[in-house]
Parts: sequence; C-alpha cells; structure tokens
Amino acid sequence: MTTTIKKKYVGIISLSYSLAKANFKVRNEASYLGILWYLLNPLSFFLIILYLRGVLFSVATIAYYPVYLMVGLIMLNFFNQSIGASIDLIRNNAWFIKSIKIPYEVFVLSIIFQAIFSHIFELSLVAILFLYFHIPLIGLIWYIVIFIFYALFTLGLSFLFSTIGLYFSDFGNIWSIISQLLFFVTPIFYVVIPGNYVYSGSLFNPLFYFMTSIRNAAIYGVIPSFHMAIALFLLSSCSVMFGFFIFTRYKGRFAEFI
Amino acid sequence: MKRIIIKNINKEFRVNRRENDSFLAKILVFFFRLTGLSKEERFIKVHTIRVADDVSFEVEKGEIVGIIGLNGSGKSTLLRLIAGIYKPDSGNIQTTGSLIYLSGFGQGLQPLLTMKENIYLMGAMMGLSQAEILTRFDEIVDFAGLRDFVNTKVYQFSSGMSARLNFSVAMFCVSHQNPEILLLDEVLGGAGDIEFEGKALSKIEGLIHSGSTVVAVSHDLSMISKYCDRVIWLNKGKVVKIGKSAEVIGEYIANNEW
Repeated sequence: MTTTIKKKYVGIISLSYSLAKANFKVRNEASYLGILWYLLNPLSFFLIILYLRGVLFSVATIAYYPVYLMVGLIMLNFFNQSIGASIDLIRNNAWFIKSIKIPYEVFVLSIIFQAIFSHIFELSLVAILFLYFHIPLIGLIWYIVIFIFYALFTLGLSFLFSTIGLYFSDFGNIWSIISQLLFFVTPIFYVVIPGNYVYSGSLFNPLFYFMTSIRNAAIYGVIPSFHMAIALFLLSSCSVMFGFFIFTRYKGRFAEFI
Repeated sequence: MKRIIIKNINKEFRVNRRENDSFLAKILVFFFRLTGLSKEERFIKVHTIRVADDVSFEVEKGEIVGIIGLNGSGKSTLLRLIAGIYKPDSGNIQTTGSLIYLSGFGQGLQPLLTMKENIYLMGAMMGLSQAEILTRFDEIVDFAGLRDFVNTKVYQFSSGMSARLNFSVAMFCVSHQNPEILLLDEVLGGAGDIEFEGKALSKIEGLIHSGSTVVAVSHDLSMISKYCDRVIWLNKGKVVKIGKSAEVIGEYIANNEW
C-alpha cells in the first residue's frame, strides 16, 4: 500500500516537472536568448532603484545595497510570478481537467517548478554581484536552504489562490493591486529598523521574515536565530497545510466551474 | 463480477452563475444577508439543471455498454461522474479496477512545441512515465504516419495531422496502460482521411475487444449497435431505457424521428 502511495506522489511530481519544462520551453520559444527576458524585469527595477537611491531614505545605511536590492527583487518576483499564475490556473487548464483524469495538484506544482527555473536564472544576477563585491559565495548555500522554505510557503499560497481564483472570477484584478502594494510594503528597496512603526507593520508581512533572514544569511553571514528559524518553519508548514487543505476540500467541484 | 455499480445518482448544475461569482458580488451578498436587507435568493438568481436524475445501472466485467441520447441529455456528464471528474450530489458510484476516461481528441496539443515534445507531454498527462513513452514513441509516430515531422512544431500541422497525432498518442497510451474500465466519450467516430479512418477504426476495435469493460458515448448509432452489448438511453438526465442494443436503438430512432 505504501509503495502505491509513494508511486502516486512520484508520478505527480515527475508529471508536474515535465509540464513545467514544456511550459518553460513554450515561453522561451525559438530562442536561447529568450532566457534573457527573465532577467529583464529584475534588471530594469534594479537599475531604476539604484538610480533613485540618492533620494531614498535609510538606504545609505545598508551595506552592499545593490546585492540587498537584487535579492529582494528576485525573491518578490518569484512570489508574484507563482501567485499570479495560480489565479487563472484551473481555468487555463480547463481542457485537461475535463478531458483527462489527472491529479490537479500537478498544475500547482508545475507553477512552482516553473518559477524555480526562472529564479535560477535570476539568481545568476545575484551571483555576479556577489563576485563583484567579493562576498563569500558560501552565502548562496544559505540562500538555497532558506529558499526551500520560501518555495514551500509560496506553494501553500499557490494552492490557496488557485482555489480562490476559480471561485471568485475577478480575483485577478484584486491580485494585480495586491502585488503592486507588496512591492512597497515589503522591504525590497528600503530597510526597516526596530522601533519604527513600519517595522511593527512588517511583522505582519510573512514575506518580511523570508527577505530578512535570507539577506542576513546570504549577504551578511548572519545565520537565522532560533526564533527566526522557528518562524520560517511555521510559516512554510502552516501555509502548505492550510493551502493544501483548502485545495483538497474544494477540488472535487473544480470541473463544474470551468 | 461487476466493474461499475451506480445507484440512484443525482447531479445538478448551477447555470447563469458567472455574473454572481465575482468577489464584489459575494461580499455584497454576504453583507446583505448579514443585515437582512435582501435574501440571497433574490440577489443571486441561481438556476439549476438536472443532468443526472436518479440514474442507476450496473456494468459487468468485460461488458461493452453504449450510452445514447440527444444533445444535452447528460451522456458526457454521466461518464465524467463515473470517471470521478464530477462528484454526484447524492447516490453512489462504485468502480473496481483501473480506469481511463478518454474524451474527443483535439485541444490537448501545445502548438508551440514540436511533435516529439507533444508526445512526451501528452503521454505524461495520460499517466505514462517518460521511459514508458520512449518504448511507445516509434509506434505512435508510425501509426500517425508523421515520421517526417517529428521535430516540426505542431502549430504548422494541418488539422488532419493534429487529429492523427492526437488519436495516436491517446490510443497508444490507453492500450499501454491496459485499463480495466474504459470510458469513451465520442471517440468512436474516427479521425482524418479514409486511409487513417480505417486504421483508426481497427485500433479502436482492438481496444474495445481487449477485455476491458467499456462504456462508450456516441451519436454514431451504427457503431453503437455494432460494438455494444447493451445500450442506455438517456433523456434530460433520466434513464429512458436500458436493454439490448437493437431494441433500445430501434425505439430511440422511432421516438426521435423528425
């Protein structure tokens, strides 16, 4: 019995991987240069904000600001890309859902895989900055470790938002506002200091914990404190459990909505 | 031994739902209900149509059963209920053994991928591992007769070529898995030109007579009467008659003569 369950999960994961690979190919259709498009978004934001840094407050206190900024940008990009794709996910795969008996989890997982693929390319920008500023590359290992928790956190929310996006047909409009607001309320291009009211507000933003710990560990060599590690673990595991619970609860009716 | 046991299943679809499932509308409804300003029923005009109305039947192992009825009589819905794509509102569906649901061929191809990539993707979607698809790859290509186009992108295919490819992938994937229950939705009509039609027909025949239990939906009454042991006649979600093919089809034709 356990072997059949294991086989089922291996099947789901390998299928979502194939699906992600195919979609990735479609996006980069016909050119290896297509990969460069992935870098265009973080790079253009990076350059604009670097240009503006003179008029931004609190920025001068941040060591290795370009690295700090780039890490924040690509982390948020990963999140926005995954959640943005989740919202129309079930509707976009209507034909498959109605015509083939297929575990729907595959579609959600494939979104995360796809986001990870493009994140790997974006990570090359961070690696270049690491080399430029002579930051020890060992920090990238910490990056990967914390990123795994971050990816799980995002996966949970992808499960949640793919369900919500199906039940509320206009949720995409709401999301486009939320994603823009996230860029400002999350410390991407600025830093929040304890004692400030923005800091207290940031404590309610889950992304804040991931951003802070991943930057501290990867760039500044400060490994997460015990409390922070617990926070990351709780955020990612609760997100996965809650998202998966909601998804599982409503997936039986998905086919009727599309 | 009984492969499929269906007892008193009912299913209703809500129609005209789209305009009411926006986020704003739901919040408003919630608010109105909370304040007692308006009853939900008045705000949301929900119409339901009954797509399965107290349907019961059983299918023996190895039996081939056809489902006929006018458009919109609930044939495809019934197959999807058996496949588990839809959940019944009430009643019981019990199936024993592995099951494959195959619906008309058409939209599963990714136009921007090559034929080879499409075969792998569709195969994976239908539950085959990459290694299993590899063993079937040549058969699929040769059966479709598209050996020269393996590395051509599918958007350049003619509709006939797409139909051949779709059919071949689906058929070989199904026969590779050798399911105990096979649910066929409008696949009895072949695809493509005369040459391919003949090939396709014999392939379907082979599939139907491979020992699987088959439930097939089709408008092609001659095919139904040729292959099916029993026929179920549906009208507006209700079973009108179940019985020997010739008998039910005869009555069906007499009833619906124009």
